[in-house]
Amino acid sequence: METHWLRRLLDGLYGVSSFFAALSLLAILALIVLQMTARWTGEVFPGAPEYVGYAMASASFLAFAGALNKGSHIRVSILLNALGGAKQRWLEIWCFGIGTAIAWYFVFYAQKFVYWSWKFKDISQGQDRTALWMPQSIMLIGAVILAIALTDNLVCLFIKGKHNIVRDGVKDEGEAA
Amino acid sequence: MEDLGIISLFLFVLFLLLGSGVWIGLALMGVAWVGMELFTTRPVGDVMLTTVWSASSSWTLAALPLFIWMGEILYRSRLSEDMFKGLAPWLAGLPGGLVHTNIVGCTVFAAVSGSSAATLTTVGKMSIPELRKRNYPETMIIGTLAGAATLGLMIPPSLTLIVYGVTINESISKLFFAGIMPGILLAGLFMLYVALVSKFSSNWNPAVEPKMTFGQKLTNSRFLMPVILLILVVIGSMYAGLATATEAAAFGVIGSLLLAATQGSLSWRTFIDSLMGATRTSAMIALILAGAAFLSLSMGFTGLPRGLADLIAQLELSKFELLMALLVFYIILGMFLDGISSVVLTMAVVEPMIRQAGIDLIWFGIFIVVVVEMAQITPPIGFNLFVLQGMTNHEMTFIARAAVPMFLIMVLMVFILIAFPEIATWLPDNIRQGPR
Repeated sequence: METHWLRRLLDGLYGVSSFFAALSLLAILALIVLQMTARWTGEVFPGAPEYVGYAMASASFLAFAGALNKGSHIRVSILLNALGGAKQRWLEIWCFGIGTAIAWYFVFYAQKFVYWSWKFKDISQGQDRTALWMPQSIMLIGAVILAIALTDNLVCLFIKGKHNIVRDGVKDEGEAA
Repeated sequence: MEDLGIISLFLFVLFLLLGSGVWIGLALMGVAWVGMELFTTRPVGDVMLTTVWSASSSWTLAALPLFIWMGEILYRSRLSEDMFKGLAPWLAGLPGGLVHTNIVGCTVFAAVSGSSAATLTTVGKMSIPELRKRNYPETMIIGTLAGAATLGLMIPPSLTLIVYGVTINESISKLFFAGIMPGILLAGLFMLYVALVSKFSSNWNPAVEPKMTFGQKLTNSRFLMPVILLILVVIGSMYAGLATATEAAAFGVIGSLLLAATQGSLSWRTFIDSLMGATRTSAMIALILAGAAFLSLSMGFTGLPRGLADLIAQLELSKFELLMALLVFYIILGMFLDGISSVVLTMAVVEPMIRQAGIDLIWFGIFIVVVVEMAQITPPIGFNLFVLQGMTNHEMTFIARAAVPMFLIMVLMVFILIAFPEIATWLPDNIRQGPR
């Protein structure tokens, strides 16, 4: 069966987002190394802690959707596992419904948050003097992609009766909790 | 407490969302939202964003993905094989024989990884088949592994301690150093137990190991030396005050990449796998922390933490009684929630109580980690039990029963910690002040 173009588009979106999340993690490493080297050689790297903070936020937010689809986000699944068939499906719909609502609520206020940051030209309190709307928009993008992923799964639950979460083996802390 | 009715509604929503299986991070956000709507007239959404943004964009938090990544790299290296081969010759002579490789192996891997599941799989992958071949009792193999793997949570780097430190705003390095001696002591207690069982058990007749010369022993463990060196660099740099926890984590990642590369186990594939794995696990924890930050704020408005702290003060519980109450509370909570979630979910309420009672927060971090470790091996939701079930195909009940002695040893450890708090507080009080 040929995959629908929308499916390919969405999966591509999650992939790209995870890719940039991984890049942000690499950036954290690079920034810290630069910062330490600067300190040892008597130089200063102004604002390094702030830059690391921004990279941390984008590493997290851009990875949220990918982590969801790989089943990395933990949940209490006793009840889900105890129920079977239709009841389990309704409980999943409830979970994805609540999740989707919270995520879109977050997105709505996140765009407001970024807009006001931009409008008032909010500047970081640290030495970096970054215009805060820039790193904050990455958080917004990540939140939008998470909201899309949750909605995507919710729609699939209604149409196909199952979500798209595929676990790749047990290894992360608490995945089964 | 102003209104019991509203508080109960708030708690009901908390249990409803968590219990029905909503992802923990999102559930916490939802509960926090309900709390804010019930108890304040503030613009909830805007407050949420400010809180989540400052909680997520933090320098201290960056230690988390780096330490996870370090563990992921070494998990994919050939450390697992080297661990057994390198440790076995040294431990074979002890009473209890090679079962000690489980405990020492877990202790060593715990020092490069912050997670107990990764510790369990890395050590168990080799030690389970090797110990079975030598006819060691199955309950001992499984039990010690389940128990000792929890050291991953206590011996630095520890993800639980990072999360605890970020939540209550305490120094991660101090918490790490607080975990070292209790971790080693706990490992020692496990080993003592193994030695005693080997002396008094009737079905203890494992195959005898061939004698080795000192030189042969060294040759066998040559691959372990780089790992030990890496541990010393990471922990030493923090101890000497040369690096913060986040910087030490960066050392750790680079060191483990070099180590994997010299072993020839670093390919493009393993690099990408470890990086993506670390990104996902760290995102999982970051989502919980984002939700928890908002929930702490909201909890503050509900008056619940203050109310409970006052209640405890009125009851005039002694420190010991308070700790016993918390011990039971966390064991029960740990039956259903993983360690990190239990910590972040409760700290907003527990922190004022602890401060009120005059308990040291660094010490309490170690206390809570031991208790959370117990949760890893208690059914119905004990994460180490799940992992072991996947690895050995034993019944859950068999594994849980094999782990009972370890659970009791951890209870003993809690009492030792209460009786001799210096075990946890001495090292952190004596480290040199780090940069910033």
